[in-house]
Amino acid sequence: MGSSFEPSLIVESIPKLLSYLHITIEILALSVGLGLLLGILIAMPRLYHIPILKEIVTVYISFIRGTPILIQLFLVFYGLPVVVGLFGIDITRMDPFYFVIVTYTLSNAAAFSEIFRGAITSVDYGQTEAAYSIGLTPLQNFYRIVFPQAFRVAFPNIANASISSLKDTSLAFSIGVMDMMGRGETLISATMHAVEIYISLAIIYYVIVLIFERLFKWIERYLNRYLVKDELSL
Amino acid sequence: MQLDIPFIWTAFTEIIKALPLTLIIAIAPILIGLLIGIAVAFLRMNPIKILTPIANFYVSFYRGTPVIMHIMIIYFGVPILFESTFGISLNFVPIAVFVIIALALNAGAYLSEIIRSGILSVSKGQIDAAYSIGMTTSETLRRIVLPQAFASAIPNLTNIIIGFLHATSIAFLVSVKELTGAANIVASSNLKFLEAFIAVGIIYWGITIIIELFAQLIERKITAYSNTGVARN
Repeated sequence: MGSSFEPSLIVESIPKLLSYLHITIEILALSVGLGLLLGILIAMPRLYHIPILKEIVTVYISFIRGTPILIQLFLVFYGLPVVVGLFGIDITRMDPFYFVIVTYTLSNAAAFSEIFRGAITSVDYGQTEAAYSIGLTPLQNFYRIVFPQAFRVAFPNIANASISSLKDTSLAFSIGVMDMMGRGETLISATMHAVEIYISLAIIYYVIVLIFERLFKWIERYLNRYLVKDELSL
Repeated sequence: MQLDIPFIWTAFTEIIKALPLTLIIAIAPILIGLLIGIAVAFLRMNPIKILTPIANFYVSFYRGTPVIMHIMIIYFGVPILFESTFGISLNFVPIAVFVIIALALNAGAYLSEIIRSGILSVSKGQIDAAYSIGMTTSETLRRIVLPQAFASAIPNLTNIIIGFLHATSIAFLVSVKELTGAANIVASSNLKFLEAFIAVGIIYWGITIIIELFAQLIERKITAYSNTGVARN
């Protein structure tokens, strides 16, 4: 590596890295958004005890929980073209960005579905009975009565999972995505100074995480605005 | 591209040889991190000027940045630091040592939070009761607080251990030959990437399941006398 430590490089490279911040945020937003939708879907078989599907979902969640995100990235990167190839579609030249979105969505969905499952089972069944008694359909009951209450319970955990997902996006560069981290790698080969670049990357990630934490705290307070003080202290 | 299923087994037997190194890189940081974590947790619960703000910043920074930064900064930074201050070249130190140092610092931050919440979960009445029957502070800690704190910390500890097992896969980016590194070598020397990564995925998955089973066993044993919750088990 380079000769000595140059602190000025830390400051100089921050704006260069920040110009790629939007890619990191795009990866995060897409994979969290899609992951939430898929996560709710995946939670259903276990909540409604649908045979076979329930077992498949359990294995899927166990696999995602059991393997590092880096391995999942490689599996999707090398495996998805093979799977899609069975249907005669060639995606080997697809932008790695999409492979990253698929991987992080699949990974987030597994985490979110477990969070949702816990939150939905925390809603008293009396609520569902009351909804049925006034004539709501099961679907109405789910999205008008149970889900809003469950979401409040699930939110802090979803926030934490999203923040750790943000940190995981730093591995996307390993399959060739040009995000903040990927830009950092090119800066390192250009300047021959690794430590300085990684320190500026760490500072940027830290600040973003702090901002997200503040934002999520604020949303959490908003979601809990109907609660009486007493219940909040629980 | 065709999936070569028999090769998955060949890759599996080749990659599993890297398991001991992976376990060392996963377990050593947790043990070192436990010591750091206990010290930091006590610093944060019994405030001391200057030291406590440093401890707070340490925990918040390590929890707020990706593990790969910690590994890279230690891997590139420590040799430069040693060379410029002491004039010693660290070329002879195996890369795995830098990874262990980086992960240990990371483990300290996460474990301090778990230890803190474990200790806070023990009710104050337990400590009062221990003092009232004449136990000393160290007896109270050893016999009353820590066993209960440990019991309530087990689910979190399991997650941390699994998390560190998975974090070791990042060490491959600094060319340590742990499981992922071995898989990458098998993959690129045979040009069978998917098969090698399926094999290594199965290995990680298997170890994770074993860790989870162990944790369940220990938890059942340790919480056998607990008298909380909504159902008797």
